[in-house]
Amino acid sequence: MKQHLGRQSGVQNVEVTLIDGKVQVTPKDDGQIDPVQLMKATYDSGVTVAEMDLVAQGKVTKDSSGNLSLQVEPNRAFVLDPNELSRDLELLAGSQTVVTVRGQLYKKPPGKKKADPSTPLKLLLLEVQKKE
Amino acid sequence: MKRKGLLLLALAGLMVVPAAQAQIKHIEMRVEGMT
Repeated sequence: MKQHLGRQSGVQNVEVTLIDGKVQVTPKDDGQIDPVQLMKATYDSGVTVAEMDLVAQGKVTKDSSGNLSLQVEPNRAFVLDPNELSRDLELLAGSQTVVTVRGQLYKKPPGKKKADPSTPLKLLLLEVQKKE
Repeated sequence: MKRKGLLLLALAGLMVVPAAQAQIKHIEMRVEGMT
């Protein structure tokens, strides 16, 4: 799995801890890493993703329906799952403020073996680390 | 000449900064079924 993930675009380094099933991925600075592609590659290597967390920085945007997103690349944004932390960031929507957050992008629903690819991933904020 | 160099450097800086402001810095997965 380590080699398989290491070959994915935008991946700098992969560290696998067998004991607790943790996989740490360090992205390259080229902004090419795609978490969804990474999940697919993990499934392809024969294991199930139970949870995916990430640390990302970007700007908060709001669409016409009022959904908040974190723009992490010029062409990639994650819709924020509404919670108290996302509500705090609402004031920053559309501003030039760059926020650094830790969030959960995926958690396997109990009883399900694999993620439903048709379900769009939402970023559940766990921590706002920095606003600048 | 020196001024032109400084101007180019400043322009390059402006192009690099927005790219560095937004990025995924780290990803952690918990996987099941790994042997």
